[in-house]
Amino acid sequence: MPGKTASEIDAQAADWAARIDRAPLTETEQAALDAWLAEDMRHLGAYGRARAVAIHSERAAALGSGFRPSAPRPSRRGFLAGGAGMAASLAVATTGGLMYATRGEAYATHIGELKVVPLSDGSVVSLNTQSRIRVLYSHDKREIHLEDGEALFDVARDARPFVVRAGETKVLADATAFTVRHLDDQPVQVAVKRGAVSVTAGDKAPVRLLANMRAVETTPERIAVASVTPAEIDRGLAWREQRIAFEGETLGDAASEFRRYSDTRIVIDDPAIAREPITGLFQANDPVGFSQAVAASFGLKADVGDGEVRLHRAKPPT
Amino acid sequence: MTRLSDERALWLSRHVLPHEPALRAWLSKRRIPGLEVDDLVQETYARLIVLENVSAIINPRAYVFQTAYSILINHVRRSRVVSFQTMHDIDQLGVMADEATPEDTLIGRDELYRLQQAISALPGKIRDVFVLRRVKGLSQREVAKSLNLSESTVEKHMSRGFFLLMGAFSHGGNDDSRTSRAWGTKLRTTNARKDSQRD
Repeated sequence: MPGKTASEIDAQAADWAARIDRAPLTETEQAALDAWLAEDMRHLGAYGRARAVAIHSERAAALGSGFRPSAPRPSRRGFLAGGAGMAASLAVATTGGLMYATRGEAYATHIGELKVVPLSDGSVVSLNTQSRIRVLYSHDKREIHLEDGEALFDVARDARPFVVRAGETKVLADATAFTVRHLDDQPVQVAVKRGAVSVTAGDKAPVRLLANMRAVETTPERIAVASVTPAEIDRGLAWREQRIAFEGETLGDAASEFRRYSDTRIVIDDPAIAREPITGLFQANDPVGFSQAVAASFGLKADVGDGEVRLHRAKPPT
Repeated sequence: MTRLSDERALWLSRHVLPHEPALRAWLSKRRIPGLEVDDLVQETYARLIVLENVSAIINPRAYVFQTAYSILINHVRRSRVVSFQTMHDIDQLGVMADEATPEDTLIGRDELYRLQQAISALPGKIRDVFVLRRVKGLSQREVAKSLNLSESTVEKHMSRGFFLLMGAFSHGGNDDSRTSRAWGTKLRTTNARKDSQRD
């Protein structure tokens, strides 16, 4: 092949990925990027790879404060000790049956934090922001209580059943991957990415959920199920890469979704603005950047204050 | 003009990047003279970026393999001399594109472990910057301040970090060759010369 090697192109693509990782491109930068991409099909491909790697690396947030960069290359065990204090808690959790009578092992995330919790059976729980679980494993069952927040359960095959409880909702799973969302003042939701689960609430008869199905509401009165596309399931998991995805949600709903991830509130006083639909992928921990992007596309103003950013109509020039 | 949306970049990171080591192994086992695996992979990504819509793709892995396969076929059709062996190998590729994906589960389970390994293997300063930026979630400005570096230096370190991770993920683990030439422009030029000799 003539010209640059793949590795040289990769290095340039990585430069662009780092530039866009810092902040949105200026018009001049965008023009320069467009020109570079138009030069060679391989530039576009390398840039796509670089961006994919940059986004994938956002998952490192789940390594948590226990991750020490100066440590020697970690062993398999090192990974298990990833989260702060996880080594100790895991040692307790693996004693299995002994834990049965107690209240189990608790894991929690604070606002904006992600955590990945590997369990003794090979299952992995990913915790979204402000979430709390309690793990109760015994010789004949695997039970997890999602006390608050949202989690993705990647369940390993095992002779013991795997049960997640969230309020009055109970999810029974085999080797599957599914999320449960248990937020204040909202019905518990369940979405299945892979495999199948059974969902019950109170004395309701169990409802079978297959991959790409979502229980949008699970209460003792009603279990409402909808089929969704794999893309929708994917969007619902954008938090694993520190993103929030919207597809036609109102700005008002978007503002409360951002509130889950950051102490900075997005305030919208004008109900007409709050009803505007929004679509796109945004950095979860950057409500200010989101508000500025929204302001630019809706012709609004975003005033950044102490602990809040206010979206309002720009006053016409006097 | 083609631009890459954040949504598509996220899709690539979830549905293409995890299959890249398998794709590379598959391509390199059936080497076609004059075609570099790296170039084929870059072209595969490019094709996936210019697609109007990816939401209808049910099995991304099979789609990725089929895309690479059609690129390969195109190259072979354009070349004047095609040996019988080459045609046989290409047919093999066609068969394999439909194979199921037994390791999908494992990909999900091990990805954070692999990411941790790749970050730990980054050279000193690059790793420090990367950890503050990605694990602790600081902005570029905050990282610059905390390490007493200029912002442009932080950005250069991030770029190097991405470059090295691109190497690590393409081989499904640690790419020590790329790590060692991370800062060696000279070394890379030597490699480039080797490449041109091979052509």
